[in-house]
Amino acid sequence: MDARGELAIEEELTIKKAQRGDHDAFRSLVERHTQAVFRLAWRITGNTIDAEDMVQETFLRAWKQLGKFDGRAAFGTWVHRIAANCSLDHIRSRKGKMDGVDDPLEHLAHGGPSPERLAQSGEITGLLIPALDELTEMERAAFILRHYEGMPILEISRVLGVETGAAKHSVFRAVQKLRRALEPAVSGLR
Amino acid sequence: MKHLSEEDLVLLYYDEPGVAEGSKTALVHLAECADCRVAAESLAQTLDVCNEWSPPAADAELGRTVWARLAPQLDRRPAASTRRFWLMAAAVAALVVAAFFAGRSSSRPAPAITAGLSESARERILSIALADHLDRAQLLLTEVANMNDSDAAEFAASRARAKDLVNEGRLLQQVMLSQASGSEPLLDEVGRFMLEVANAPDSVNEGEIQDLKQRIDAESLLFKVRIIETNLRTQNAGTSGKMS
Repeated sequence: MDARGELAIEEELTIKKAQRGDHDAFRSLVERHTQAVFRLAWRITGNTIDAEDMVQETFLRAWKQLGKFDGRAAFGTWVHRIAANCSLDHIRSRKGKMDGVDDPLEHLAHGGPSPERLAQSGEITGLLIPALDELTEMERAAFILRHYEGMPILEISRVLGVETGAAKHSVFRAVQKLRRALEPAVSGLR
Repeated sequence: MKHLSEEDLVLLYYDEPGVAEGSKTALVHLAECADCRVAAESLAQTLDVCNEWSPPAADAELGRTVWARLAPQLDRRPAASTRRFWLMAAAVAALVVAAFFAGRSSSRPAPAITAGLSESARERILSIALADHLDRAQLLLTEVANMNDSDAAEFAASRARAKDLVNEGRLLQQVMLSQASGSEPLLDEVGRFMLEVANAPDSVNEGEIQDLKQRIDAESLLFKVRIIETNLRTQNAGTSGKMS
């Protein structure tokens, strides 16, 4: 058996132990998947503090739902689904709280780059980040899951709780909008 | 063929599964049509530059920090699946009734609880109960196979679990007398091993642990249990998919 197979079996046993209430086993799963969950949460929420909170929320939900995990998908994929949902719920609630309220983050986003954004280098990212901010939450999430997480559209539709056609069109619309925003910089590269 | 739409090009770029047939035609067109090739390259260039946007490196200690905040919020045990609970409850009820009637005349009519179930439902319940039993056995076998001398003190807990597995295995074997599943020899083998663990002395020594380990290796017990359990799970998932 190759190292990958052994790792899969080892992870399967760890999951089973965690399902029986073994905190150490769950801790090992948390530590193993934290970085990947952070990356996804960061892309969806757009900042480090929220992303770190989402990592914690993701694993709390994962613990509560661990009994339902049946091993049909890889544990990492399953946790990613939870992370995507947590992050989406978070940005929805953030948006809900800010509706009708003066949103200081909004001013930062449109009035000038935040320190985190300033830290991003290059013209492309300078154009890409505001362009991503202009997408609807569905388009942004669908694009991030498709482009950065390599998730097939069928899977995206399950994560976002929409029809496959709707997920597909969210990806298409996101790509169209991003192309329009990035075109000036990209054509300069040709 | 008409030119490829932007949507076609996006699906091709991502090599989206489920559009393989369409992709073949699209790829043939792409090879022949200069306009579409230019459009595809332009799209790819734009999407490729999106890869320059990468998250900041997370704090290397983030996993530990998250755990430190998470641990106090965890219950002792994660909640079991409700669906699984009802399936298991049905399985246990069916098994108990079956075990009760096994000791009585076989000419008696089947009890209501089993009579109400179709043959396929009974097979499915048995298959789930068997997979769960092998799952627990596999965990214990793995623990014993990886035990070292310093783990001898924890052996008492393993003995108690082995005893449960012996009883559970006997119940399953009784049901299988009337419903062959092909897993009886393995169940018998696992049962004998678990009985040995259950009857091991309180103060197990290194030599006895080594004997148990050798038995697992010699009989390829862990391997066999893993294969049968995986097959049962796959089979159950397939049946579940068809049922839902």
